[in-house]
Amino acid sequence: MTNAVSTDVTQNVKQTASVGRAVHRSSRGARNRRLREALLAYAFLLPAFVIVGLFGLFPLIFAAYQSTLRGINRIVGTFDGLGNYVRAVDVLTYVLGFWGAVILIWLALRGIRRGQQAAAAAQEPFAIWSAPGVALGASLLFALTWIIRMLPLLLAIPDQMRGARNTPEEFRRLLGEALADPNALQALFGTLAALTLGIVLAVLVQRALDRRGQRGNYMSPFVSATAMIGLAALLLVMTWNELQKQIAEAEATSAGLDIWSQIVMISAGFVLMALSWWLWSSASHRSSNASTFLRLGGAAALLVGAWLLIAELPRAIGAGDPVWWYGLLATFYYSMGTIPPQLIVALVLAVLLFQDIKGRTFFRMVYFLPYIAPFVGTAAVFKIIFSSRPEAPVNAILGFFGLPSQLWLNDPRGIFNLLIPSADFPVWAAGPSLALVVIMIFGVWTFFGFNTVVFLAGLGNIPRELYDAAAIDGAGRWPQFRHITLPLLSPTLYFLTLYSVIGTFKAFNHIYVLRTGAALGTTDTASVVIFQAFKRDTRIGYASALAILLLLVIIVLTIVNNRVAAKRVHYG
Amino acid sequence: MRRAPLRYLGTYLILALGAAVAIVPFLYTISVSLMNLTEATGGAWLPSTPQWSNYARAWNEANFSLYAWNSVRIVAITITGEVVFCTLAAYAFARMEFWGKNLLFSLLLATLMLPEAVTWVPNFITVAWLGRIGPVPWINNWPALTIPFMASAFAIFLLRQFFMQVPNDLWDSAQIDGAGHVRYLLQIVLPLSRAAVMTLILFGFIGSWNALAWPILVTTTPDWRPISYGLLAFLDEAGAIFNLQMAGAVITMLPIVVLYFFTQRTFIEGISTTGLKG
Repeated sequence: MTNAVSTDVTQNVKQTASVGRAVHRSSRGARNRRLREALLAYAFLLPAFVIVGLFGLFPLIFAAYQSTLRGINRIVGTFDGLGNYVRAVDVLTYVLGFWGAVILIWLALRGIRRGQQAAAAAQEPFAIWSAPGVALGASLLFALTWIIRMLPLLLAIPDQMRGARNTPEEFRRLLGEALADPNALQALFGTLAALTLGIVLAVLVQRALDRRGQRGNYMSPFVSATAMIGLAALLLVMTWNELQKQIAEAEATSAGLDIWSQIVMISAGFVLMALSWWLWSSASHRSSNASTFLRLGGAAALLVGAWLLIAELPRAIGAGDPVWWYGLLATFYYSMGTIPPQLIVALVLAVLLFQDIKGRTFFRMVYFLPYIAPFVGTAAVFKIIFSSRPEAPVNAILGFFGLPSQLWLNDPRGIFNLLIPSADFPVWAAGPSLALVVIMIFGVWTFFGFNTVVFLAGLGNIPRELYDAAAIDGAGRWPQFRHITLPLLSPTLYFLTLYSVIGTFKAFNHIYVLRTGAALGTTDTASVVIFQAFKRDTRIGYASALAILLLLVIIVLTIVNNRVAAKRVHYG
Repeated sequence: MRRAPLRYLGTYLILALGAAVAIVPFLYTISVSLMNLTEATGGAWLPSTPQWSNYARAWNEANFSLYAWNSVRIVAITITGEVVFCTLAAYAFARMEFWGKNLLFSLLLATLMLPEAVTWVPNFITVAWLGRIGPVPWINNWPALTIPFMASAFAIFLLRQFFMQVPNDLWDSAQIDGAGHVRYLLQIVLPLSRAAVMTLILFGFIGSWNALAWPILVTTTPDWRPISYGLLAFLDEAGAIFNLQMAGAVITMLPIVVLYFFTQRTFIEGISTTGLKG
């Protein structure tokens, strides 16, 4: 620290022999300075966080809340529990609700156990932090309650301000009324009380431990555990209520009730799948005998689990929203059909470009062009290139080789059915429609340049000496690529895979532009289905529920991707 | 170590093929945009005589003067806000100490994972609400199209990476000269990070120019409809008049492509450095 204040203080220390007082002063000065810096930092962060918070973080809570409302074409609907989810995925809702709660509780317990282990290793007290931690966690839950109780009141304000009553004074009055609502106030007081209690307890605990010279702070596992257990309880209650509703309905119509068996079977199927994965991956650390045994067990669990799922899932899917399920399937096709080709093409081009050749900048610039060009424009070109008229470019080329014209973007038939016309595949096995394949081609065309550029940057990070050494050892170009380039490029590959998976599941714009009525919705991926539910059908609550389900899928994919990559990625 | 020319030939062939695939759709766009209607629908590859008047017709029929002006206004407002707000936040994350820094930063990064689809419904309702209670309407007006994009996790992250590379010695000497955080940011950090700010501006420009889903949701009249949505509306209205459609596409793409040609080095470097550190 060479700043002015501390130099000043050092001189003070030298001049006045009273070292203790000077040190005291310096620490107070440092504290003041730190406080001022923190306040300035918060001021710097404020505008950005107001915007990010309002339009980036708050929407998650808001969407989760909206998804429990019946709202059709209205801003404030009536509470409908998990009804929207049941309409979308039927029985899977209960499976998701129950296992989601189980996972939350497990995460909470794991967090606490890890904190405990860390504290034990550092020989510091742990359990005492539970008091402030639980209080602060409870304050988070109270705050959530407050937000959810305030939302409908706030959303109703514009309706009460119509016409001549649309004045700032009227707004302030209504806002005051909303804030003073007894239910909302209760939650607000709960929040503040828990927050104050938590802060007071935290300060007390910190002081007590300071005096004993122990500095570790283990509050955060308790905070998150409390919040997660609270959310898990909420999820369980909502799932249970929804089940009760279904049971009552089934009794009223005296229909047979197979919800329970379905829930149990589907859950068992997923658990067995997870078990088999776990057995299989733990087999690789064992001796050969044990590993064979574990692998056999894993295979058996996989078979039984898969059989249960294959037997039960179609019924659940059939009872859900077919448009949504087909949207997920189309998203999956789109993801599988674009990511591998674009990564392979980009890798080949990047490796070729990364040589001592002329025109590197030129090629790089040209490859990148499709990525930056406005896609409404480029998609319009693709619409013409892949038009169904026999004179259109692609059909003309096909005709030149004596092949029949295709309908391309207007063709809802699955490509397996097109390739093997004699076999009549059902919808789910027919593969992506020809229209979706054209959209995949557009996707690959748009993104391969971006991937090439990122691969080039990754290649630039590999030390040249490795290649020189390998060349001296007589390694050819392919062994060099296989044993130096690929392993050292794995972080880039991992990043691009994750980025593309998330990107394809979020993809909306070009798919929306390229969709045609004649393709009968076979090109509607999950995002398009959500957009249509909101914009065309104005089913606000339902669209929110679908969006939350999409988010769940993306989270699961990210976790799986991380797990798989953790073992393979080589950070050299 | 020079390799045999034949080997280079193979390399060049593949690279050229890739370049052709990337660029042919653009050339075809220009070609069709200059055809007359018979050629455009008849599957010709090149126009017999270039019809430059197509551009004027598309410009007038699609009302591009309004849409282009809208997009320019939207881009200008968004980028101004974004540069100011994100610079401040990025500086706080890069150079200042405060309680909750890691928590706030991970909250910020968490927003990157949220799909756009989750935010459509809530943000539409929020924006409608703010417009109904505030002094200016938000729907069909500039606030809905610009304010939500004035701060993004990506922009803050990008600037933070650059700010962190400014050597610490500069901060020390600035402090000795009596400069506080504000002066240090304005007079030293920002000028040194010009490349980062340029990248941010380019990304902001392209993002606003290409935006589609959100403008469809929040504009019901052409008053503030940006150019991409304008082109989409024109494509639907123009039917099968391919030559005019393509002229419209060229008009929409031209500003971005020109901007890209002049700044591609900064832009590509911005992508490669920030992309990988994520």
